[in-house]
Amino acid sequence: MNVLEVRGISKSFGGVKAVTDFSMTMKENDIIGVIGPNGAGKTTIFNVISGVYKQDSGQIFLGENDITNKEQHERARLGVARTFQNIRLFKGLSLLENVSAALDPTARYNIFHNILLSRKMRMEEKRIKEESERFLELVGLLKYQAEKPENLSYGYQRKLEIARALAIKPKVLLLDEPAAGLNPKEVVDLINLIRKISQDLDLSILIIEHRMEVIMELCRFIYVQNFGKTIAYGTPKEIQENEEVIKAYLGEED
Amino acid sequence: MDFILSIMVFTSITVIAVTGIFVISGLTGLFSLGQAAFMAIGAYVAGVLAVNYHLSFPVAGFVAVLVGLLAGAIVGLPAIRLRRDYIALATFGFGEAIAALLNQSVSITGGAMGLSGIPKKTGIELAVISALICIFIVRNFKYSKFGRQCIALREDELAAKSMGINVTRVKMVAFLLSAAITAYAGVLYAFYTTYVEPAMFVWTKSAEWIIIIYFGGINSLTGAVFAGILLTSLPEVLRFAAEWRVVIYCIVVIFILNFRPSGVFGEYELSFNWFRKWWKHLKEKKGVMR
Repeated sequence: MNVLEVRGISKSFGGVKAVTDFSMTMKENDIIGVIGPNGAGKTTIFNVISGVYKQDSGQIFLGENDITNKEQHERARLGVARTFQNIRLFKGLSLLENVSAALDPTARYNIFHNILLSRKMRMEEKRIKEESERFLELVGLLKYQAEKPENLSYGYQRKLEIARALAIKPKVLLLDEPAAGLNPKEVVDLINLIRKISQDLDLSILIIEHRMEVIMELCRFIYVQNFGKTIAYGTPKEIQENEEVIKAYLGEED
Repeated sequence: MDFILSIMVFTSITVIAVTGIFVISGLTGLFSLGQAAFMAIGAYVAGVLAVNYHLSFPVAGFVAVLVGLLAGAIVGLPAIRLRRDYIALATFGFGEAIAALLNQSVSITGGAMGLSGIPKKTGIELAVISALICIFIVRNFKYSKFGRQCIALREDELAAKSMGINVTRVKMVAFLLSAAITAYAGVLYAFYTTYVEPAMFVWTKSAEWIIIIYFGGINSLTGAVFAGILLTSLPEVLRFAAEWRVVIYCIVVIFILNFRPSGVFGEYELSFNWFRKWWKHLKEKKGVMR
């Protein structure tokens, strides 16, 4: 059974074809990479899968569910989580609350429980707090739980974004350039973290990344995009030796 | 004494309205320039029911809050789907429309002459207790899944959606809560002054409340309440300064917004814990003195 199946999605903005006929499949506990030069349409693929943009054509399946026409928040509830290339955390909330906000849509109490501080509400709040702490612990940020995200270093902000995405208990996690702006030590940390969550949490991960060490270390399978088209796909070894890919990255010899 | 009591009642009513707008414009970040219309609805519905239909104060008040909720649903459903800046315009239009409607339906509301003869039922106790209850409700709202989701979508709507937050629904809950609280403020107002006229509820009133929550800090309920008390009583206290009082008021506001853009209180909240610590500290001090 495929966890995620994308069938021939296309998306254009005006005359620009950002993604043309992109297809892919993901198995359980898979880690798959999407690479390609800037402007190749990688982030657009993420935006279409997570529902930020509506695709022009094609279909998307999450397990057996057809999520092609689902709203962004519905897809998240069904199990598509993501992080962003330019970190997007909730500034007014503490670290713990950032993670809690992702769990809140699952809290089963209503406004009247809330106003009266009913037992049901307090139980649910307790559950959310404990779960949030667990996810912060997982990425090693529990000791900063009361801090505001803007006070964290860039590497920690990335980790917090991953913790927040994990909190929705996804089946598929989309990581958009998780290593951008990290120093070499933080990159090693990140690789270990991604490997850990993929093993411990039973989810499949799709990564966009320019840092080849991340892709080559982690991914079982790689898709290479250029100008919106898939120019190659295969295992890391196959991709490293692929003529087309080398041409796209380094240019052609005259 | 009567003068001070009346200031206290008006301040309490303003505090109630401010807790209402704090939910929608502070926590959720949606400018509601028609918020005063909900106060008008509360005041007029309760007033008309009491004057023309001789309903008792609690019944009239309850119906008025329900009508406020209904109006909130009718305006909110289309409005909150709009982009942020257009929400301000849509609610502004709604507010002015309500004021115009009240002016035109002379046979029911008395038009620009106003509605008079409402029995005086709001006393200082009711006003203050109501204000405390509203503060309690909004405090609970802020520290719940609702409050967190409101702040999350205010900071980054796209990220909020991608975390599974149903943005439209959360905005609607906030909008309705805020409408109900503000309508209740209107009920208390009508039953205190015994007289209401449409000119009291135009957009300048809504704008005043928004100034109050920005003055106190959009993230701080304590700030909103503090600013509500200060900025309502300040013009009264400055009454001796005659026409200069408005100038002084404006200067105070401008100074705060310029030199402390996050508001007087920023993110700070007064909490019971803080009181407990203070109390403990005080006790320990006394112990040392003995």
